[in-house]
Amino acid sequence: MNNNGYLIHMESVSKDFRRGSETIHALREANLSVHPGEFIAVVGHSGSGKTTLMNIIGCLDRPTSGYVRIADHKIKDLPEKELTQIRKTTIGFVFQQFFLIPTLTVLQNVMLPGLFARQNVEKRARELLGLVGLKNRLSHLPDQLSGGEMQRVAIARSLINNPSILLADEPTGNLDSHNAGNIISMFEQFNRTGLTIVMVTHNPDIATRCSKIVHIEDGCLTA
Amino acid sequence: MNFMTVAWSNLRRNPVRSILTGLSLVVSAATLTVVIGLDKGYSSAVNSELVESTGVHMYITKEGCPIEAASVIAQGGLSPLFVEEELVERVQTHPNVDAVLPFKLFTVTVEDGSRTDIFMGVTPEIQRVRPDWQFASGGWFESEYSVILGAEIAQIEGLEIGDVTYSEEFDREFNVSGILERNYGQDDATIFLPLATAQRLVQREGRLSAIALKLTDISLMDQSRNELRAMIPADSNVLGSRELGDGILQFYSSTRVIMFIMVVIAFVISVFGIVNTMLMAVLERRREIAYLKCVGAGKTDILKLITFETFAICVAGSLLGAFIGLAVSPYFGNFMRSLLVAYVPSGSIAQPSLSIALLAFLSCTLIGVVCSLYPAFRASKIVPMEVLRNE
Repeated sequence: MNNNGYLIHMESVSKDFRRGSETIHALREANLSVHPGEFIAVVGHSGSGKTTLMNIIGCLDRPTSGYVRIADHKIKDLPEKELTQIRKTTIGFVFQQFFLIPTLTVLQNVMLPGLFARQNVEKRARELLGLVGLKNRLSHLPDQLSGGEMQRVAIARSLINNPSILLADEPTGNLDSHNAGNIISMFEQFNRTGLTIVMVTHNPDIATRCSKIVHIEDGCLTA
Repeated sequence: MNFMTVAWSNLRRNPVRSILTGLSLVVSAATLTVVIGLDKGYSSAVNSELVESTGVHMYITKEGCPIEAASVIAQGGLSPLFVEEELVERVQTHPNVDAVLPFKLFTVTVEDGSRTDIFMGVTPEIQRVRPDWQFASGGWFESEYSVILGAEIAQIEGLEIGDVTYSEEFDREFNVSGILERNYGQDDATIFLPLATAQRLVQREGRLSAIALKLTDISLMDQSRNELRAMIPADSNVLGSRELGDGILQFYSSTRVIMFIMVVIAFVISVFGIVNTMLMAVLERRREIAYLKCVGAGKTDILKLITFETFAICVAGSLLGAFIGLAVSPYFGNFMRSLLVAYVPSGSIAQPSLSIALLAFLSCTLIGVVCSLYPAFRASKIVPMEVLRNE
């Protein structure tokens, strides 16, 4: 944990991309501080910089300028190997697409990140699948599940390495309202156990269920 | 769960593609097993038949290309090349010569081309020069038109001692005086005649195909060869039995080159197949690989995953191919027999073995795994945020 007690701390973070001769300013002097146990919604239009923000918080990308601290790690100058290690131990990812491997069972899909962490996570995988209500679906293949069930598998998988932060990029984008509501309830349940969640969403109803809403427009963040 | 479980499950996503890639390795491994088996088998059969088991240490032939001489001796036929019979008496005087076998070798093909008989005119010295030349029944020629039959031809013709057989080619009857023990060599299919009779039948009186020599002391072979050369006319040559075998193997070398080119082609097809399959697999799964990197898969993990996938295909394909190669080698041996022009040993010319199959299996697996390195490297270089943002 850093000195300010923040789990995620960003100061004056900018991220520029080159597209041909044009420079895209995906993030402009963005500031964000997240305490442990917060549930943050990041709301913004398409192209506003939400995914760039998530990539930087998720140690998938480095800022062009500014200061970023995730847990105890200043990520700007860390080599790729250490960023991978942070992703492995500290951060869980949930995306709009579920990215389940179609030929692995539900249980095997959840255990997959444990393979890269060289840990035997079968017991925890079974527990997590019980928590997301899929303990009777362990040996099913992804194509035997509904969209909501697949996202629940993806959530269980994102938590397998016991991360401190869950980053969710439009996790309900592919789901109907009923399943979307269930997923958010599940996030709330995990958040109550102390998990910090940063979630990108277009849906204002879902955003209102979070403890804090951050708006992003043209790369600028406003609380 | 381990990397192999994940790799195997990935291969099941597109089973047709995986099977086709595996099949290219089956073909490579099978071809390699067959070709090495044939190559080794033919050399071994030639050596065994001409060098080790005959007891002949040297041949005196007409001067010229030793390979041509080898072919003439091996194939018989009425070659214009011949050795004068008078040389027999001369070489007999050499102190290191133990036995001398002058012979006339020729073949006769029936009119419709369906069969070729091998005839060899010999003297009683054959029993001293060739320890493997043993009677199963009967004995030496009883008259000038007696024949001694190899075991196989006697069996095919259903002839026994005392039977009389008619030869259309020579319009003459021959009496069977002896049948040889089977020695799994060319003798099994040969009809032996008295030397003079053989020469008369082909109007080559006083002329020999070659003279076979048995030495008293083979450690003096080089010295004896030089001395014998000095005793015979300049247009004759002295060949060691090893040189004869080598000459025949040189004839075989063009066939050998073609066979190994086939192996190379099969390998090239496999290489392209594997690289193509694994590149496709990587390109199709870019987002998934990007996600795996999100959840902590390092470059080494991705490299390992893709390499394991290829390894699984390679092991399955190469193993199956090596066993298929072992199984079909004898059939290819028979097929090759019909194509060979230099010398056809009568035993099996395919010599498949587990060590050859193992060599083929290891070579194909290794090449396959090396082929996977480029696609695996491409996969490991995927930048997650670029893929997730742009695709």
